[in-house]
Amino acid sequence: MLEIKNLHASINGKEILKGVNLSVHAGEVHAIMGPNGAGKSTLSAVLTGNPAYEVTSGEVWFKGKNLLEMPPEQRAREGIFLSFQYPVEIPGVSMVNFMRAAVNEKRAYEGKEPLSATEFLKYMREKKSIVELDNKLTNRSVNEGFSGGEKKRNEIFQMAMLQPSLSILDETDSGLDIDSLRIVAEGVNKLKTPQTASIVITHYQRLLDYIVPDFVHVLADGQIVKTGDKTLALELEKHGYEMVVKQ
Amino acid sequence: MSELIEISKGQTKNILLLNKSVDLLVNQYDDSQLNLHVFCLDDSSAEINIQVRQLGRGCSAKINALVLACGKQEVGIHTNVVHEVGDGISEQLLKFVLADESKGNFRGDLKIAKDAQKVSARQTNRNIVLSDKAKMRTMPQLEIYADDVKASHGASTGQLDEQALFYMQQRGLSVGTARKLLLKAFASEVMEQLDVAEHDSIEQLIEQRLARMAI
Ligand SMILES: Nc1ncnc2c1ncn2[C@@H]1O[C@H](COP(=O)(O)OP(=O)(O)OP(=O)(O)O)[C@@H](O)[C@H]1O
Ligand SMILES: [Mg+2]
Repeated sequence: MLEIKNLHASINGKEILKGVNLSVHAGEVHAIMGPNGAGKSTLSAVLTGNPAYEVTSGEVWFKGKNLLEMPPEQRAREGIFLSFQYPVEIPGVSMVNFMRAAVNEKRAYEGKEPLSATEFLKYMREKKSIVELDNKLTNRSVNEGFSGGEKKRNEIFQMAMLQPSLSILDETDSGLDIDSLRIVAEGVNKLKTPQTASIVITHYQRLLDYIVPDFVHVLADGQIVKTGDKTLALELEKHGYEMVVKQ
Repeated sequence: MSELIEISKGQTKNILLLNKSVDLLVNQYDDSQLNLHVFCLDDSSAEINIQVRQLGRGCSAKINALVLACGKQEVGIHTNVVHEVGDGISEQLLKFVLADESKGNFRGDLKIAKDAQKVSARQTNRNIVLSDKAKMRTMPQLEIYADDVKASHGASTGQLDEQALFYMQQRGLSVGTARKLLLKAFASEVMEQLDVAEHDSIEQLIEQRLARMAI
């Protein structure tokens, strides 16, 4: 589904990704761990086409298409979703209007009719229940004044609405209390199908207890320096990154 | 010559100016209210001159303006609010969105005379510039001679929030739709001040205008 080959990227002339290679197939869950500042969020920004970053070399293929040639909205409509580490507040734009535009523009891209107002509200109600999102939140402006945990839950609600094939969850667990973590993680699991895949960026094992990864990668200083199965995360939790980063 | 409007004691006057140049002088007498809305939502360039003189106590003047300019359009708004006596309120909110090579000009003169105590005056000018070639000029001029007053003014010109735009694109919105939603949010503060009667028709004009500008 996703093929990243020797990807180099920089911001403000500073190289952050220094040759990332990664293959993700349908049905797989990949965890990416690694020290602060290693480039994990940079990778998610580059994959989603954030214009602040410059790709200096390498290739990314998504479902056989050249991802790097697509504008951000096309990547999204092709099925890439990012749960932001820091979701953006958009005062004055209501969640309902935002999601209606997002869902209907995706439908138009797929050659489908837009949902009517009633169909849309019904659809939204359905998806809200997946992460038990409070009704009040969807009546407010996008993320404006949401608590840290509410913002993360709102990201997964949007994921449920858009049904991406590849979801990148950038520290979705940070800021969530114990119960919210379980609800949100179970929500992610409910959205999993044999046709979807996830890249889960996290610092903690506890998320991976719920969302069990097929692969665990360590990203350090702009490169994937080690790959293992789910036991690698447990080892890292015990010994820290020194065991992989030093060598 | 300015067109003279007098608002007598205790009266309220609502004025809606749409897509035209004007030159108004409004005299306010005791406890009168002025609610003035200015909208520039078509292609015509305009010069808008509004003088308000509060000659009686307890007056309230609200001036709201929304300019959506594009092409080579030029829109200038000059407000001149004078509090001659005390206990008055004036609130001004003026917002410009400038696309292409359009030019916006706001000059806001605000004067509070020496004996006009307990006046509350606020002037806010917020602008969004959508292209490198669009230019906004803002000139607030405050002259305050009384000491027991509340007067504030703020002016800022910026661009649409890049991070918000990217967030919206990441959800599949085209740049045009994303800009349109952000600009509607920007305009909504002016719309909130508007009476229900005109609300819908103006909103439609804004919608049409943004469909042209936000691409
Ligand atoms: N605008 C910028 N200018 C210069 N350096 C930047 C800029 N933005 C990010 N960086 C740097 O890029 C590096 C990688 O940042 P990134 O956010 O990808 O790290 P991360 O692995 O996600 O870390 P964390 O675990 O703390 O979230 C950091 O050293 C950061 O300081
Ligand atoms: Mg990060």
